[in-house]
Amino acid sequence: MNQQNFPVQVAPLESCREPGPEERSMLRKVLDRVGQYCQSRSLFVLHYCTGCGAIELPPSMTSRFDLERVGMQPMVTPRQADILLITGYLSVKTLKRVILTYEQMQSPKYVMGFGSCTINGGMYWNSYATVKRLGDYIPVDTYIAGCMPRPEAIQQGFLDLIERIDGGRAVAWKDYYRNYDRYLGHQQHLFGRDWLTPTDVVGEAAHYRLAGDGTLGPHTALLDQYAGYHQAWGVPREQYAELEASS
Amino acid sequence: MRPENYKPVKHPPSEEYDLYFGPNHPGIEGNYALKVRLSGDEVQHVRADGGYLHRGFEKLMEERLWIQNIALVPRICVPDPVPMEETYSRAVEILGQIEVPERAQWIRTLCLEMSRVTAHLFYFGGHAATMGMYSNMFWGVSDRDRVLDLFEELTGARVYHMYTTPGGVRRDIPEGFLQRLSETLDYLETRLPEFDDLFFANPVVENRARGAGPMSPEQALEWGVTGPNLRACGLPFDLRRDDPYLVYDQLEFDIPTRSEGDAYARTMVRREELIQSIYILRQVIARLPSVKGPIRAPLPNPLAWNLPHGDAYTRTESSKGELGFFVVSNGGTRPWRVHVRGPSQMHAVQVLEQITVGQRLEDVAQIMFSLDACPPEVDR
Repeated sequence: MNQQNFPVQVAPLESCREPGPEERSMLRKVLDRVGQYCQSRSLFVLHYCTGCGAIELPPSMTSRFDLERVGMQPMVTPRQADILLITGYLSVKTLKRVILTYEQMQSPKYVMGFGSCTINGGMYWNSYATVKRLGDYIPVDTYIAGCMPRPEAIQQGFLDLIERIDGGRAVAWKDYYRNYDRYLGHQQHLFGRDWLTPTDVVGEAAHYRLAGDGTLGPHTALLDQYAGYHQAWGVPREQYAELEASS
Repeated sequence: MRPENYKPVKHPPSEEYDLYFGPNHPGIEGNYALKVRLSGDEVQHVRADGGYLHRGFEKLMEERLWIQNIALVPRICVPDPVPMEETYSRAVEILGQIEVPERAQWIRTLCLEMSRVTAHLFYFGGHAATMGMYSNMFWGVSDRDRVLDLFEELTGARVYHMYTTPGGVRRDIPEGFLQRLSETLDYLETRLPEFDDLFFANPVVENRARGAGPMSPEQALEWGVTGPNLRACGLPFDLRRDDPYLVYDQLEFDIPTRSEGDAYARTMVRREELIQSIYILRQVIARLPSVKGPIRAPLPNPLAWNLPHGDAYTRTESSKGELGFFVVSNGGTRPWRVHVRGPSQMHAVQVLEQITVGQRLEDVAQIMFSLDACPPEVDR
């Protein structure tokens, strides 16, 4: 999909520069530190088994390897989960559900690619039915290599993720807002130009002031055919900039 | 006051509604969904909604060498991968007229039965978990891990072994392995009474599982049910006895059956099968040291290994039911066509749609799991 197919002129959302860690006030630094510490020690993993990696999750979660030691538990609803675990290959049908699930989850949210299939297609590199690179469709924080990854590898992956959350480095979810156009373009390439999710990601990006240079683009311009569909914030898209300025 | 343009809208009766059961649901055995039509909490109609795990195995296998496919086939069914490798290997051996050494046949039997033990232990845990009994799930998973450790020692991998190859097995059993296997079997036998107390003889489980998802023997035959689900209806059909492969004709074992055909009968049949598998494994342990010889028939260069024209159908009694591979060769280095006859497809689609009708919503997860269908194999 090249630029010429989209002769739409896109006015960029007013992007908001995030202050660097050294520019923050002392109080903000302390609050961030406490928040990150708490976040990293109480994580709920969404119990959605997309592929064969799910078979190594019960051993990791139950008594032998016991992930509850590090404060992790399975959670059945996406709205209360922190980690979306993509356990293995994704067929196109599953990817749709995964994207809907991911957009339902509340920030901050973390995605873990599990097994070789999410990295480069793995064993199914030439399959017509599976998605080869998960990172094209949703932002991924960490990957665990292997087919199938052993429970020890899963544990190490989770510990790595905890360390990154603790250090404030697990910020891939912000990338979804900042470069939404890129992710949406890949999704539209797969699902067609009339692809629409119930979540108004552009509206959320404007609301939380997470919009970046890549939030709007030729692909999000296609969403204009559904203007008025998303009533989430009750504000037309043209007024996002005003909304930002006033808040 | 109603507006002028008011038109009454006809709704269906409000006690009837549709429920999307999955793909993320408590009967979780994989990525598989049901569309359930409910009246109150009684199921009126069910449609299976698969395809979440489709990878196109049969097409992928046509593009890989005969020996490369060994890496692909165990991924068809995740909890019970060994029968996949073994059945495919046997089809290739028939096509290539390869004689498998006797020792390799005994080792393959050992692997098949160990895989059945892991699959059944996982099943016990899963069936209990669908009723909310999580302690039994913890037990089943941790006991299964003991057998997986043995698999790791034997094959180098916990889940996908890729150990059986056309012509034999990849390597010989390590020293002291049979002793450790024997100790693990002792341990599993001592665990069974505890499982009985917690799960099998538990009145709560009996009340929940009795009468859930019943099948009559006629229905089972009509719907193509095989394996433990068929034996739970009272039909003693087992490929290990009725169409013996490998060395099963030299082994002694019973074929446990139950007559009720409901979820409880299916679980109890699997419990008896676990005992029979342990019994078979003990016979293999006693016999294996006296069977000497090579473990693999010599194979030509796999890059130039052309199998002659022809087709072969082989079938195995896997822990889920009858598993078959139909392999066609046109004389090339790759299969011309492979068809997998999986047991789960019959169970999870046509049988499940029929036997859940009239049941209650909270039993759907349990019935789904009691058929022990394996969604990756349904979608392939």
